[in-house]
Amino acid sequence: MENDQNSREGRELIMSRMLNAPVELVWEAWTNPEHIANWWGPDGFTNTITTMDMTVGGEWNLVMHGPDGTDYKNKNIFKEIIPFKKIVYEHVSSPKFTATIEFEEQGEKTLINWQMLFESKEQFIQVVKTFKADEGLKQNIGKLNVYLEGMKTH
Amino acid sequence: MKTRRDVYQAIADPTRRAIINMIASRPHNVNAIAEKFDITRQAISLHVKILTDCGLVKIKQHGRDRYCEAQLDQLSEVAAFVDQYKQHWESKLDSLETYLEMLKKAKYGK
Repeated sequence: MENDQNSREGRELIMSRMLNAPVELVWEAWTNPEHIANWWGPDGFTNTITTMDMTVGGEWNLVMHGPDGTDYKNKNIFKEIIPFKKIVYEHVSSPKFTATIEFEEQGEKTLINWQMLFESKEQFIQVVKTFKADEGLKQNIGKLNVYLEGMKTH
Repeated sequence: MKTRRDVYQAIADPTRRAIINMIASRPHNVNAIAEKFDITRQAISLHVKILTDCGLVKIKQHGRDRYCEAQLDQLSEVAAFVDQYKQHWESKLDSLETYLEMLKKAKYGK
């Protein structure tokens, strides 16, 4: 079963996107705490970047503030940084994963490749399950809100 | 605590995944499955029972042999949630894209 643990299959997410901006700007939006705070996190969240030490072994700590007032602390450690090319960080808060972000200059555009590798398939499934539960919860809250609105108008 | 019996529980264990892989192409009898693993026949039976409870395996009796047949429809449920989770991360790229447009305007005035 050792092979099973080592294989990346079933425990990684890969995304890529062609961004309509030169690599210098994409890099700045990613690495400047003032900028990243403005786009990181799910819809409706705001962020506070407490530390962003962009050196190998440097910490990157942020708090995501949920729309309902819940704070989510995130601790990350940078593993590799190649300016304008690559960022590797380890998300050390649960769920643990390693994210590799590659920036590829394409003239005035930038191709960004984003890969997240979880520790094991078990963990990945756990994350997906938790996410499913969260989604369910969100839908329930949504339904409750609609219901409450309905109650108000009557 | 009530034990969960769903598709996630079924595939959370490497031995159970190996069993599913094995029987995905064609049904195997329980003994044939047990021979392939270095664990006891009892342990294999328990895994098969969990897979059956989770609805991923159907047992068919052929004479004296019990055959395990894979029921893979349920696995698509997992794929759907992996997809939703991916969407969640894709939305981060959406925000970055929008933010870059703003930055560009601010920087180059275009």
